[in-house]
Amino acid sequence: MLPAAAVFHFPWEINSGAVQEGESVRTFGRLACYDPEVSEATLSAQHASKEHHVVIHTMFVEPFNPIIGAQYIVLGEIENAKGVGVMVRARVLNCVDGVNTALLQKAINEQRSFFRERDHKQSDAAQPAHAT
Amino acid sequence: MQSATMDPAEEPPSMLWGLDPIFSAFARLYVRDILQMTESTQVPVDDGTGVINCLCWKNDLFKEEGGPTKSGEKHSDVAHGSFNLVAELEKLRQAQQRRCRLEIGELLRVRGPVKTSRQQREIMASTYYRVNDPVMSVQIAWMMDVPQLYRQCYDKPFQLQPDATGDSAISSLSKATNLIKDFFKEKSVTRFRPYDVQDLLQPLISSQPQTTPADQKPVAGPSACQQLRQLLKEVLQILQDEGTVYRRVKSQDEVYHVTAHDKDLLIAVKDIIHEDSKRDKYAEKGCHILHILSAVRQRHSLNVSKTALELVLKSLECNSDIVSTSDNHYTVF
Repeated sequence: MLPAAAVFHFPWEINSGAVQEGESVRTFGRLACYDPEVSEATLSAQHASKEHHVVIHTMFVEPFNPIIGAQYIVLGEIENAKGVGVMVRARVLNCVDGVNTALLQKAINEQRSFFRERDHKQSDAAQPAHAT
Repeated sequence: MQSATMDPAEEPPSMLWGLDPIFSAFARLYVRDILQMTESTQVPVDDGTGVINCLCWKNDLFKEEGGPTKSGEKHSDVAHGSFNLVAELEKLRQAQQRRCRLEIGELLRVRGPVKTSRQQREIMASTYYRVNDPVMSVQIAWMMDVPQLYRQCYDKPFQLQPDATGDSAISSLSKATNLIKDFFKEKSVTRFRPYDVQDLLQPLISSQPQTTPADQKPVAGPSACQQLRQLLKEVLQILQDEGTVYRRVKSQDEVYHVTAHDKDLLIAVKDIIHEDSKRDKYAEKGCHILHILSAVRQRHSLNVSKTALELVLKSLECNSDIVSTSDNHYTVF
């Protein structure tokens, strides 16, 4: 019995509801704020001239040393919380300040396009087998 | 509470540990049991594409010896520039220990064979260690590199290379030589002409793999017949060089004698050694092989090679007809 794999998603994808509740995700962003009393932190990321926020529930990863403005990586499950909306219940929260976010984005896209490529090839190979 | 009796590989998956009420309670254990508790070797690892259990056996070597005081020692008595082996080994042990202390969320590098246990695939880690990756450069490089590896290497089907021309030429030559030698033995051949053995090599020619790759234009090459003759020629040359065969008489008629079955040659060599060993000159030391060779060439055939003579001498020695007195010297037994 193992937990599900946490696939990389961009912060703007998480808020748009692209990820289903209960799914495990990995994402990143700058620590915008942290409220230890309710165990909530917010990561923010810039994309297409917009600021995107992801709410993180930090109960499982406390205590952690919050460095406001630093880049963080979070790994956890998607939850729909009342009044908050989409939230990530963190199992891992690591500070990765200094990370090249543009390069990280590129790497995530590279991996995605590789998997798409592979799935395409596999479905092409399977084509003659199924009737449309 | 049992200490080391349960096989660590048999313990329940770590995800289920929370179901054990004792797990979350502060159990009142004996200190002895606390010190002897087996540590789990399960390390579930997630790389974003899947999660797999890795069995990371903790090395006893890394366990603390003595206690905190030992690890905190400063090596102030070491002279500048000298290399204290004990101190360096201790530093190494500590570094290895630090690298192996794993916590959730850490980046890990794992290497090992994949095994199936409890219907699940696991990695039996032969090597594992924490990776320091403060700005994710290692993870980013991984995500960029691995697709390339797959495209260039892993996803390409494994193809057995067709034999390179060089390889097949060598192997068919040695096969051909052995075929003919076997024929000599089986049929106790004393002498032969090339066409007598030519057909033996036929199967080697027809089974030659196409050396020109399919996508290249076929070049006009030698016919099967020519290939056969060429192979035969090469084999006969090898057999002559080895001394296995020789041409007693060099004439238009290409007749070869098989050295091992040539009774006349054998007798000639034996007689030479017998006679010359009686002479004072050779009585003590025996006859040198070159002397024997020149005598054989005078008496028997100009075309006896040194290698052929060596074969004859060996067989005479095996029969105890002659004996070697020293390197390259022979006399009667």
